[in-house]
Amino acid sequence: MRRGLMAWDQAEVPKSALEQRLAVLRAVMKDEGFDALVLYTNIARGASVWWLTGFTPYWNEGLLHVPAQGEMVFVTALSKRVAEWIESVMPAGRVVTTPKPAALISAGLVKDGAKRIGVLELDDFPAGHAKIILETVPGAQLVDATFAFARVRSGSDAVERGLLLKADALARASCAAVELSTPDARAFMAPCETVARLGGAEECFALASTDLGASRAAVRTEAMGALGATFAARISLAYKGAWTRHARSFARDEKLQEAFDAAHARLMNFKPTDMLNLSAVLAKHFEGLGDLVDFTIEQPRGSYPLAAVANHAGNAEGFNPAAPFVLDVELQIKGARWLGAHLVGL
Amino acid sequence: MSREASSARKAALKDAMQREKIEVLVLFGNNWHADHLRYATDFGIQEGQGIALVREDGTTTLILDDPAECERARLDGSCETIFAPGLVQEAKRQLARAGNHNIAAAPYHLLPYGLLHGEKDLRVQDGAAIIERLLMTKMEVEIAAVRQAAALADEGYAIFRQAARPGRKDYELVAEMESFFRAKGVPENFMIVGVGGQEVRGMAPPGGKILKAGDMVTTELTPCYDGYYAQICRTLVVGEPSEAQRKAFNVYLEAMIAGIAAVKTGVTAADVARAENDVFRKYGLGDYVTSEYTRVRGHGMGLFPDQKPHILEDVNIRLETGMTLIVHPNTYHPEVGYLVLGDSLVVREDGHELLCGTARELFFNPVQ
Repeated sequence: MRRGLMAWDQAEVPKSALEQRLAVLRAVMKDEGFDALVLYTNIARGASVWWLTGFTPYWNEGLLHVPAQGEMVFVTALSKRVAEWIESVMPAGRVVTTPKPAALISAGLVKDGAKRIGVLELDDFPAGHAKIILETVPGAQLVDATFAFARVRSGSDAVERGLLLKADALARASCAAVELSTPDARAFMAPCETVARLGGAEECFALASTDLGASRAAVRTEAMGALGATFAARISLAYKGAWTRHARSFARDEKLQEAFDAAHARLMNFKPTDMLNLSAVLAKHFEGLGDLVDFTIEQPRGSYPLAAVANHAGNAEGFNPAAPFVLDVELQIKGARWLGAHLVGL
Repeated sequence: MSREASSARKAALKDAMQREKIEVLVLFGNNWHADHLRYATDFGIQEGQGIALVREDGTTTLILDDPAECERARLDGSCETIFAPGLVQEAKRQLARAGNHNIAAAPYHLLPYGLLHGEKDLRVQDGAAIIERLLMTKMEVEIAAVRQAAALADEGYAIFRQAARPGRKDYELVAEMESFFRAKGVPENFMIVGVGGQEVRGMAPPGGKILKAGDMVTTELTPCYDGYYAQICRTLVVGEPSEAQRKAFNVYLEAMIAGIAAVKTGVTAADVARAENDVFRKYGLGDYVTSEYTRVRGHGMGLFPDQKPHILEDVNIRLETGMTLIVHPNTYHPEVGYLVLGDSLVVREDGHELLCGTARELFFNPVQ
């Protein structure tokens, strides 16, 4: 449930940038023979509609109709009064509210005579909406548009990079705000979210791996107890819809903390150069500081603001090294588990 | 309490599945609609999507498409947890492996299209009949969690009152609230705000407005405890309230009291809405109880902060003992703007158990 700052600033997200994205998308739609594209959004899967409109629903769900020509229409079951607010924070597209978003989308598709309809992540598209479209649009054929969308979305333009710069600064500041004098994990993490939200974060998930000796899993506040000898803070944060993560490990032992700090500094200096053999590159990067145990690389993918696109197991499908990515690393340092995460490639 | 509530839910689900002769129940969820997944697995999903497969013997498999979420879920260890970037394909694989069962799924309209299509032999029926009643009508162990959430909402509103000072930005109030709730172990809070006067027609996430003398500041706070949400709605004025603001507030107070007084087992959601709206009509404000100005006059709460029944004059769902609701006659007032007031409660046989303890008054913060 988004509850942080949600506002549109023309200097940060000029309409022209969104128009440019739409133009590139329409060229791909034409290539694919799509009469229209339909994208689904909610707070967990808001990235694609955000990329085109600058808006993520704070609650509920929505559908975006991208016709081959003309204005995009964002349809949501939120109330009419909320539509006025959405219009004030959504720079591109027209907003319509209705209890049945798919029925309204279908009416638009019928009006345009659309038959071949691209749907982003068709497998994951809500079946209720698909049923309405298929039943009410004569001759409708739903076609998975996931790969088509990826062709235009895998990069990152200057507007997105600008937002990511702010998100990254907030995430770093949030992570740096941890309270190290306490043995209690909640108190350790307490300042993080305050810093993030006062800085204008739209959303902040402040999680902790409370005892790295036992597990690397990062937990939410309800599961936080006492901190172990080594522990980590993990901040996932959105600024105006652009998501990043930052994680940092800590040790009660001073010498180990020095080694942890050195690894964190090395992580912050990682530059995406040779990306062909990521495991070898990362092992070399941290050489002398710790042994690489695992890594994950995340980038926006389709409707997901951050999704794993490469990992230590050798998977790298859909990874674009030229675009910014979140690098999540696990090392073994002096017999202890160390975790770090950082936005790379800005 | 979490374990106790979780065990009770699992037993109730197993009974319901046996009653309906369902062999596998497929439950889908994400951070927006986390309730169905939580009911069966006790996992509060934050990122990505998840599907739980609940079998008739009670064994459950949780499939998640986010690796970090999967690690978090495995800590609980109460069910088998699988990481699958291709969520739908993995769910289909699991279902196919188990054979052609009598399968139901919920929430049906949100189920992934790929799960219901492309497999000729996979017949999935709508599982609403099995789980919706369970989500709405709580057991006492669940009500205890809602009661805790309501106490946190009361505590939270006291913090909000302190925070709402002139010169502060609306999102700074949210920052204080979230900081308070995280320190109390509350992982989620549904919260929207409104700041201003007659021009304000509703609440939304903060947009950077600066509080000034004369502004009404509206909010609904909805913290969760053990996954269960409770809500409080209150309005405060920056500086001394005007006569018009006080007069308007009294209408909302009378309406909320009337709505709450109507609550008891056996009445309908419509009866409660009508009791609230009749007060507005009495004062010539009948236009402002329509969908043009207000969404609902209250709603159910539980593992989802805005669950059925919606309190509206055309909703004839019967209130049952153990339902947890908020009654809130929130709407636009033509003289002073959007105003909110609401308390959470439990439906009881002959009335209600009030959960919120914050004073029902138009609060104000003096301007120095």
